[in-house]
Amino acid sequence: MRRYAVSVMSIAILSAAAVMAARTNNAAHAADAPAAGADTAPYTVQDGTKVDGKTLDGWKTWRALACERCHGAEQEGLVGPSLVNSLKTMSKEDFHTTVINGRPEKGMPPWGGSDLMVKNWEGLYDYLKGRSDGAIKPGHLYPIGQ
Amino acid sequence: MKMIYARPMLGGMAISAALCLSGIAAATDTETAMANPSDWASQSGSYDNHRYSTLDQINASNVKGLQVAWTMSTGVLRGHEGSPLVIGNTMYIHTPFPNNVYAINLADQTYKWKYEPKQDAQVVPVMCCDTVNRGLAYGDGKILLQQADTTLVALDAQTGKVIWSVKNGDSKLGETNTNSPHVFKDVVLTGISGGEFGVHGRMQAYDIKTGKLLWRGYSTGPDDQLLVDPAKTMTWTNGKMAPIGKDSSLKTWKGDQWKLGGGTTWGWYAFDPKLNLVYYGSGNPGTWNPSQRPGDNKWSMTIWARDLNTGIAKWVYQMTPHDEWDFDGVNEMVLADLPIKGKETPVVMHLDRNGFGYTLNRVTGELLVAEKFDPNVNWATKVDMKTGRPLVNAKYSPGTTGPDVDVKDICPAALGSKDEQPSSYDPQTKLMYVPTNHVCMTYEPFQIEYTAGQPYVGATLTMYPTPNSHGGMGNFIAWDPAEGKIVWSKPEKFSVWSGALTTAGDVAFYGTLEGYLKAVSLKDGSELWKFKTPSGIIGNVFTYVYNGKQYVGVYSGIGGWAGIGMAAGLSEGHEGLGAVGGYKDLAKYTTLGGSLFVFALPDGAGGATKTASNVQ
Repeated sequence: MRRYAVSVMSIAILSAAAVMAARTNNAAHAADAPAAGADTAPYTVQDGTKVDGKTLDGWKTWRALACERCHGAEQEGLVGPSLVNSLKTMSKEDFHTTVINGRPEKGMPPWGGSDLMVKNWEGLYDYLKGRSDGAIKPGHLYPIGQ
Repeated sequence: MKMIYARPMLGGMAISAALCLSGIAAATDTETAMANPSDWASQSGSYDNHRYSTLDQINASNVKGLQVAWTMSTGVLRGHEGSPLVIGNTMYIHTPFPNNVYAINLADQTYKWKYEPKQDAQVVPVMCCDTVNRGLAYGDGKILLQQADTTLVALDAQTGKVIWSVKNGDSKLGETNTNSPHVFKDVVLTGISGGEFGVHGRMQAYDIKTGKLLWRGYSTGPDDQLLVDPAKTMTWTNGKMAPIGKDSSLKTWKGDQWKLGGGTTWGWYAFDPKLNLVYYGSGNPGTWNPSQRPGDNKWSMTIWARDLNTGIAKWVYQMTPHDEWDFDGVNEMVLADLPIKGKETPVVMHLDRNGFGYTLNRVTGELLVAEKFDPNVNWATKVDMKTGRPLVNAKYSPGTTGPDVDVKDICPAALGSKDEQPSSYDPQTKLMYVPTNHVCMTYEPFQIEYTAGQPYVGATLTMYPTPNSHGGMGNFIAWDPAEGKIVWSKPEKFSVWSGALTTAGDVAFYGTLEGYLKAVSLKDGSELWKFKTPSGIIGNVFTYVYNGKQYVGVYSGIGGWAGIGMAAGLSEGHEGLGAVGGYKDLAKYTTLGGSLFVFALPDGAGGATKTASNVQ
């Protein structure tokens, strides 16, 4: 196989650090945690790498379905668009439609047949939102409390 | 087709040479065309995959005068691998998905016919993220196209009408095709892609007349599916050849994991008509999480020598047992006779993704040479010549460290010290001229479950230029396959992802990801000429003669992994790891494209006069 996400350390790490300061200690359920801006962050994150269980399952889904092959290891975009950018404007409903139905003509698979995606798409949305916000770092994630 | 335009036709000598080669009563039209240096009748120009032409109108002393003769848009903006074919006064060009085929009249560059297949767009996501096609094949008056959706089509070379069409796999299971079909005598060989979807890799042979399946030999599984004879199929064992024995593949997999075993076959095959043997390599075992599939995972990562007519394997050699790095063994097989330890020996040469250049006796399968063709290769210290196995460095072994551990600075990266981009062999210098990658990686495997038709990868990788080297991500090298030594190495900023061509004019040609077509000296790699095409080059350079004049051509069209991945992913981030000089994004040089470029010398510069080599 000869196509995968190519990536190196990201400037996202730097920008993430700044945003994180505002969010790191958001307590309890993410839905209750006010974000730095007007939006409400759907995830909980500590130190950029420790996240709530739902977001963690979202990241595991990202990894298992090899989304980085098109969207990049840091969601920066390769053949597929940058999700760091897309999640800034895309609604949760549009996100759901896109992952389930795909955009076959552009190469985005319809993941409606994947139990993993059907079960975890909201967590995946949360994870990518966190990446887009810069609150969650690229790479491996861990459960809060570890 | 009608030969309206006078072409140099084959003389008696060339025909008898072809007959001798084929060992049967008559040369096929493929063989006749391949014996004529004016044609470019197969993707590598010959059965032995030399990618070498005896043409010498364009040579080391005049190549600096090379100019664009004509260009053509392919109409598709994706990665353009492979090359056109030239048969007589017609050029056949192909495109990435949707795999259009155009026959072009060389007299005026007009279309003779077009074939535009309708394929289910659902195949595109399965090919993610690239929809390349490595080109057409020619034989029995037909043009063979291996479509992405696994349909193999035989078109009438004169009209473009479909003569037969067969289905070669199931894209619902993640099976697709990117490889070129190969025509050897009256047999069409084609492989399968989908090593990251848990497919069951195999090679297929079809009758060129009818499209009837002749045999199908799998890479993994029971002996009858492998098409092996346990007592007669040989492999290198403790310093000599020995039979592989019963259940040679089954014994090296846990349970029935061999059914998802990968071992795909999308590379460049070779054929020895005297031995009637076909040579090709099988790819990585699925998944990329090695802890999940204990054992040697035979016969993934293997060089195969099969009988053309029966498919029965005469010998096999597994290069990377129990792969932990995605070092697919599919790269081109190149055949030649070389002096090995003072004795002229029929060999097969293969520069593998794993960074080792192998030379084996192609009659017996004996291992003769296995040396690194990039000095930075570190996953193995060397190949033990007695066992034939690599001595793996535990520090760079994701299977040893286990899942969810990030193993850093493995060289080469998964794309290998070279990937499918085919090398050229010059029978005069007896050296290989090789486009290579110079990239390392971190590799983190993780547990993955199989779901039919969905990715079955199980590892996250990051890639970057080889640390503490010249800062670039590629080299163009000259390799001595008899000695296993690098003769010279020319650094390149990016991976060289273009198939090389050498000619009797003492020139090697290759393209770069920035979009340059380059001509370099065979002696030392010094640059003699270059031209910037509109997009990055991942196609293979080819040459032909029309109306007595030599042309050199290449597709320009970056795409998929090689292009966009580089452009998006690589930034200044790794300069701190010892990259020399500023590393600049590929995006500064190029973007998507899709065109054919054809070059020639201006009239009067030697281009219009026939030289001895192209007058038949």
